[in-house]
Formats: sequence, structure tokens, C-alpha cells
Amino acid sequence: MNTAATNPTDEHADSHDHEHHDPRLAHHFDSHQQQFDTGKLGIWLFLVTEVLFFSGLFGFYAVYRSLHPEVFLYASQFLDTTLGAANTVVLLFSSLTMAWGVRCAQLGQTRGLLACLVITLACAAIFLGVKSFEYAEKAHHHLLPGNLYQSPENHGPVADAAAPATGTTATAGHGEADHAHEQLAADHSDESLFEKTKHTLSYISTALWVVILLSGIGLAVLFKNPNKKTLAAVAGCVLISAIGIQLGAYASIGYHHFGHAAEPTAQEIEMAKTAPAEYAKQTEKIPEPLLARTFFSVYFCMTGVHAIHIIGGMIAISWLIVRTVHGAFTTYYFGAVDFIGLYWHLVDLIWIYLFPLLYLIN
Amino acid sequence: MATVVDSSNPKSNFPIQYRELNYLNCSKGWKSWFFTLDHKRIGIMYLIGVTTAFFLGGIFAMLLRTELLSPAKILMGPDSYNQMFTLHGAIMTFLVIIPGVPAAIGNIILPVMLGAKDVAFPRMNLGSFFLWMFGASFFLAAMVLGGLDTGWTFYTPYSVTTNTAVITSLFGVFVLGFSSIFTGLNFIVTIHTMRPPGMTWFKMPLFLWAIYATALIQILATPVLGITGLLLIVERAFHIGIFDPAYGGDPVLFQHFFWFYSHPAVYVMILPAMGVVSEVIAVHSRKHIFGYRFIAYSSIAIAIFGFLVWGHHMFVSGQSKVVAVVFSAITFSVSIPSAIKVFNWLTTMYKGSIHFTTAMCYALSFLFIFAIGGLTGLFLATLATDIHLHDTYFVVAHFHYVMMGSSLMGLFAAVHHWWPKITGKMFNEFWGRIGCLGVFLGFNLTFFPQFLLGTRGMPRRYYTYLPEFQGLHILSTMGAYLLGISSALMAATLIYSIYRGKKAPANPWGGASLEWQCSSPPPHNNFDHPPLAGDPYVMESVVYNEEIGGYVPAECQKDDDGSVTASGDKEV
Repeated sequence: MNTAATNPTDEHADSHDHEHHDPRLAHHFDSHQQQFDTGKLGIWLFLVTEVLFFSGLFGFYAVYRSLHPEVFLYASQFLDTTLGAANTVVLLFSSLTMAWGVRCAQLGQTRGLLACLVITLACAAIFLGVKSFEYAEKAHHHLLPGNLYQSPENHGPVADAAAPATGTTATAGHGEADHAHEQLAADHSDESLFEKTKHTLSYISTALWVVILLSGIGLAVLFKNPNKKTLAAVAGCVLISAIGIQLGAYASIGYHHFGHAAEPTAQEIEMAKTAPAEYAKQTEKIPEPLLARTFFSVYFCMTGVHAIHIIGGMIAISWLIVRTVHGAFTTYYFGAVDFIGLYWHLVDLIWIYLFPLLYLIN
Repeated sequence: MATVVDSSNPKSNFPIQYRELNYLNCSKGWKSWFFTLDHKRIGIMYLIGVTTAFFLGGIFAMLLRTELLSPAKILMGPDSYNQMFTLHGAIMTFLVIIPGVPAAIGNIILPVMLGAKDVAFPRMNLGSFFLWMFGASFFLAAMVLGGLDTGWTFYTPYSVTTNTAVITSLFGVFVLGFSSIFTGLNFIVTIHTMRPPGMTWFKMPLFLWAIYATALIQILATPVLGITGLLLIVERAFHIGIFDPAYGGDPVLFQHFFWFYSHPAVYVMILPAMGVVSEVIAVHSRKHIFGYRFIAYSSIAIAIFGFLVWGHHMFVSGQSKVVAVVFSAITFSVSIPSAIKVFNWLTTMYKGSIHFTTAMCYALSFLFIFAIGGLTGLFLATLATDIHLHDTYFVVAHFHYVMMGSSLMGLFAAVHHWWPKITGKMFNEFWGRIGCLGVFLGFNLTFFPQFLLGTRGMPRRYYTYLPEFQGLHILSTMGAYLLGISSALMAATLIYSIYRGKKAPANPWGGASLEWQCSSPPPHNNFDHPPLAGDPYVMESVVYNEEIGGYVPAECQKDDDGSVTASGDKEV
């Protein structure tokens, strides 16, 4: 029988990193070029799966928009185009800094890379801040998917869970007494939901301030300590993210107050009641379509999945920042920056499609 | 009796045959397995997981068949019956057949076949196994949390109204989908970037072509299942009105989304098995594969066609007639690449020196079963007959012939073919063949009567039936028992060989592809130097050596006596 001890080639069996000394090159690759090509192909394939993942949502959008165009015409007016546009600009800018960061990594400019990554992370956080404000505002007005939706026309529920089958015709067929009763109930639930939203928001805001404070202290303490680079970088990333989200949210609140005067709800309802030009020819007043809430299902599913991808991207960028602080990237080893950059561009690209499809109808 | 040559002997000019220090024992402890990045160990863990799930799903099948012995209640009530066939289907599909050949066998064999040290992304590979376990745990949780009775297809609107654990199961499916995506992505990248010098695309073994086609489907179709599952979870939780007609949703849209994944997924199950059969038939017939390019292209063609035929699951769901006709026509065209493969395998065997080893027996079973499964598919693709056969036992029999019969025969063939390479031990051929015979007979006895039941109008998924169907049902149940016993016998034979089997030579069957060039079992790094790849089907490049009990490269054999040619005949 052959025993392995006699065979010198088996020495690699336990620790196969002995063969080459460059820790940046994985043991099963022959060259940095091969390693880079492999990663590049891998990330492109991953992006393909991402596109297909979203394709389900876009397919769903296409089917419902073609079946119920009036729903999309009616309901998209409740989305704030200015905030959507601002977010688009923010994301486009973050794509610029990401691409710039890849360039810096290729040229070995560590400081430039770090700056670009930090700005990208901050932009992502601002995007989330604005988005969270938009979600909160929708929740406030009951413009939510499914059961949670209440018609902005009468602030009564279009459908309640007990009678889903008749729900879709609810607005049309209610008697006067029912309507009044519903109005009462709706007002009540509106109040409580409003309160709940407000409370949740204030809690989140407070929590964010605490996070900013703590991570700021952490960063300040660890900043110059060479042994705690990782912790300091993590604290820095958390700090940037929290500040960015606060910034985005407060900017949106500020815009909302100044841009929409005192009573934004009424104005929005007025907007909704005012018929778009071509629609006005057919009907005197734009009625609320039966499936108006389907639009908000689409809206929340699509932007929600996109927001999850933004969060994933922020985690990945934070990981890049930690590695950059450690000086991991060199002119011949910058694959990770490149790959996460590609992912980030895809996430931006999806938003570029979402923005007109959801906000710019009509 | 052949013994393994001591290649440490300087006089020996043979490559190392059996290696004492190999990937199985080079490091010890559960952590060295659980956190390993070695593709072979990950593949072994997949194999164990898949086998466990197979026996779990098999037990469900046995219980179902036992219940169907009589129209009256034997073991369980109708609700339990619904849950049991759902879990049988879901476990067998998502936990057994889909990861079976690609993730388990593919992980072990693919990099070795490529002469590579590992897959392109070893950590992602381990991650995909963790995701598999995570997803499987959701299935187990669903069994505890009230079961699942929607059928593995989760059709709406029932799946949003039933009070079983739909969300848990769907989340399991979602997670398993990502496991599948990561495996597929890894394989595509590995095949693209890590082929050895000399291995062009058309010098790849056909198993790699099949895995490549499979991986394409995995990464293109699975994300759609993922988002569909997510939307269904949200639909169930918040009634967002996508799929539930009560809230303005469209249940047929769900069927479109679901089958857009799940029809290609059928080819995820069958294509790797076809790849295995291409290898096994060529090696055990001692003959160059016939029509290499046709088999390679037909794998890709099947993968492409697979995306265009999902509507044939929905002929009676109310889709437009034009669409139905188009889907029917494309479905027929899938039979062309499938038939190309079958004819090429048959021609490969023609005038070959066929060795009826266990692996070959399973491959021949595959041919028989796949022919029946494929041809009965034509009845279902025909619009008029499908109206009659839809949702009957004919469908059940058809997809068991293709998915269970063919895919699992492929898996079994693969396990037996590469078992000496994986474990370094030879199993008992006699008991292996007995197991194969039992599986083959049991399988046909189980499912052939179901074709008859289906044509006579026995609907699928029914807990009870008309008395005149009882005879065929009893026959089917007997077959299922035989199938179960034979599978257990197969497992016992293989497990026994790990402990008592004789040590395997590097190349027991005489394969010419690269995995037979490294020792059995391979060392941790597979190859110390990237091997030179030639044509993987030139069986003359290896000759049988009685002293070793296996095949050795022809150039090593020149000086020795007692050599035989590739076809196994004594040299004159």
C-alpha cells in the first residue's frame, strides 16, 4: 500500500497556502488576472440574476398597468415627484463617486478611494432617509398596500378583511348611514395610525441620534489607534449612514413643510379630484378606480425590494471601507471595489427605471 | 485478486492509485468539515443531506401508497393525505432532485474533471450549502407548524386561504433558490475560467456541458421563483391583491410566474442526469462517445427551449388558444434535442464492449425510463389529449418517469460510477446490480400502472377512488415497496463498502477524463500540477492492468505484461 508520507506532494494537504506568499491570491488561482476575470464573470452573472429577480416585479407592473391603466393614472399623483427626482439625483451622484472610486483603486490612490466610498455610502443613506419619509407620509395617509389601504376620497376603507369579496366595490355601493359610520371609524383609525406613525418615527429618529452619538464617540476614541482600525472604520460607516439617513429625512420634512404649505393632504386630494386633461374628456370628475390600492402594492413591493438592495449595497460598501482602511487594495488587486461598484450601478439603474414608471405617469 | 500497486516503489511507473492521506482524512473534527472550503467535502455533505431528504420524502411516498391500497381510510384522513403528498413533492423537488446531481455530484466531480484545485468561489460554495440546510430547516419547521397542503406548486388562491404553514415553506423555497443560484453561478464561472491547458470547449467532458446548461437555467430561472415566492408571502400576509382574486389579483399570473421557473427547473433535474449518462455509457461501453457536438449542443438547446414552454402546464387554466397552440408546438420541439441525445447514446453502445457494471445498469435503466417518460410527454403536449389527461394519474406517472425515474437513475448511476473516486472504496458489484434490478422493476411496477389509471380517469391528488381502480393501485403500491426496499439495499451496499470494501484503484472503469487521473480518493488539492487535457473519450488511452485491478495510462503499461486493450480483451 502506498503511504502518503512517502509522497512529498501530499505535504500541501493541510495548509495549501504555503505554495505562494501573496495572501491576495487565492490558492486555486494561477494568477491575479485569472482571479480578477473569475470575479468579474461571477458578478456579471449575479447581476443577471438580480435583473431577473426584479423582472418578476416589472412583469407584474406591466400586467397590471396594461389591465388597469386608470389605477396608475389616478394613484401615481399621490407620489411626490420632487422627492423622487431628488433621490434620483442623489443615486446618480453616488454612481459617479463609485465609478470614481474604482478608478482611484486602479491607480492605487487609497485616500481618494476612501473619500469616494464614504461619499457613496452617505448618498445611499440620504436616499434611504428620503425614502423613509415618503413611506411614513404614505402610511400617514393610509396609502398602503392591501388591507391597510384607505381611500383618500372618503378616508373610509375600500375593503375590510372581513368581506374581501365585496371589497372592490365598496366605494360604489355604500348607503349613507354606512358611509357615515365608516367615516367615523376611519377617522378614529386614522388618528391612531397617525399617532402610531408619529411615535414610530420619533423613536426611530431618537434611536438614530443615539447611534450617531455613540458611533461618533467610538470613532473619535479609536481614530488614531492603529490596532483598532477595523472598529474605527465600522464606527465611521455607522456614523455616516446614520447622519445620512437623518439628513435625508429632515430635508424631506423641511421640503414638505415649505413646499406643501399647511394642508398637504387636501391639496393632494384636490389634485386627485382634478382630472388629467385626456381623462377629463371622458368623465366629469376623476373617480377613484376600484383597484387604486393595487398601485400601492406595486409601489411598496418594488421600492421596498429596491431599498433592501440599497441596504445590502451599504453593507458591502462599508466592508470595502474597512478593507480600504487596512490598505487591502492595490493596483493589481482591486476586484472587490470593481464588483461592488457594478452592483451599485445596477441598483441605481433599477431606480432609474422605477422613478419614471411609478412617479412620472401622466 | 488484484491489489493496489505501491507506487512509492521507485520501480513502479504507475501513477498513485489509492492514497492513504486524502481529502477525507487530511484534517479531522467536525469543524474541518462544517467550515471546509474544499469542494469535495462540501459535495459529500450535500450528498448526505440529499440522501437524508430522499429517505424522508420516500417515507412519505410509502405512506401515501399504503393509504391508496384501498379506497377506504387505512392510515390517515384526507387532510393528512393532502399534507403528505405536498411535503413528498416539495421535499423531493426542492431538497432532492434539484440539488441532487448538480450540487452533490457536480461539486465533487466538476473541479476534478476540470483539473482544477477548487471551484471558482469556494466560500460561496460553502455558503450555498449553508443556505440549503437553512432552507431545509424551514421545511422541517413547516412540518411541525401545521404542515402544508397546497401541493408543491403553491397555486393561488388556495395558498392564500389555507391555514397551513405556507409562509414558512415559501421562505424555505426562497432560501433554497439562492442556494441553487450560487451553485449554478459558481459552476458557470468555474467552467469558463478554470479549464486546464488543452481543454477547449469541445474537449470538455459532456457532463460539464450538461452541468453548464443546468447552471444557466439555475441562474436565469430561479430568481423569478424567488420573487414569486416573496410576492406570495406578501400576498398572504397583507393581501396586496397581486395573486388573490378576492382582492383584484390574478391567480393565473401566479401560475405564469411559477411555471416560468418551475418548467426550466424540470430541466435542472434532467440535464445533469443526461450528462452523467453520457459519461457512464461511453466509459462502460469502452467506446468514444458518438456525436459529441450534437450531445453538447442539445444540452444547450434543451436549456433554451426549457424557457419557452412553461405554458403547457396551463392548457386548461384559461390562457388564450393561440398561446396554447404556440406553447404546444414549442413543447413538441423539445423532444428533438432529447431524441438526439438518446440516439447518440444508443449509437455509442453499438458495437461497444459493454460492461454491465452497476453504473451501466443504472444508465441503461435511465434510457428505458427516459424513453417512456419522454414519449408520454408528447401526449400531454397535444392540446386535445391534454384536456382529457390533465390532472390525472397519467400526469403523475409521466413526471415521475422523467423526474424521479430519469433524474434519480442518473443520480444513482453517478453515485456508482464515481463512488470509487469519492470514497476510495469498491462496492460489491453483485449486490449493486441486484439493487439496480430491484429499483428498475420496482419503479416500473409503481408508475406504469399509473399511466393506465390516468387514461381511465383516475384524478391525481385524490385520497380515495372508485373500486374498479383498486387492482392497479395495489400493483402500484407493491412496486413502491419494492422500490423502497431496493433503494435501501443500494444504500446498504454502498455504506458497507466504506467500511469493508476493497481499496479502489485510480481508474477502476477505464475513463479517459481528468478525474480518473488523480488518485482515489483525490488529495486535498486534487492535482499538484495542472494536468494536460486531451480528448476525454479516447478509451484507448488507458489499458487494463490486472495487478492494479484498474486501468492505467497506456504509456505506463508498455513494459508490463498481462496488459489488455481498452475493450478488455487480452492482447495477443
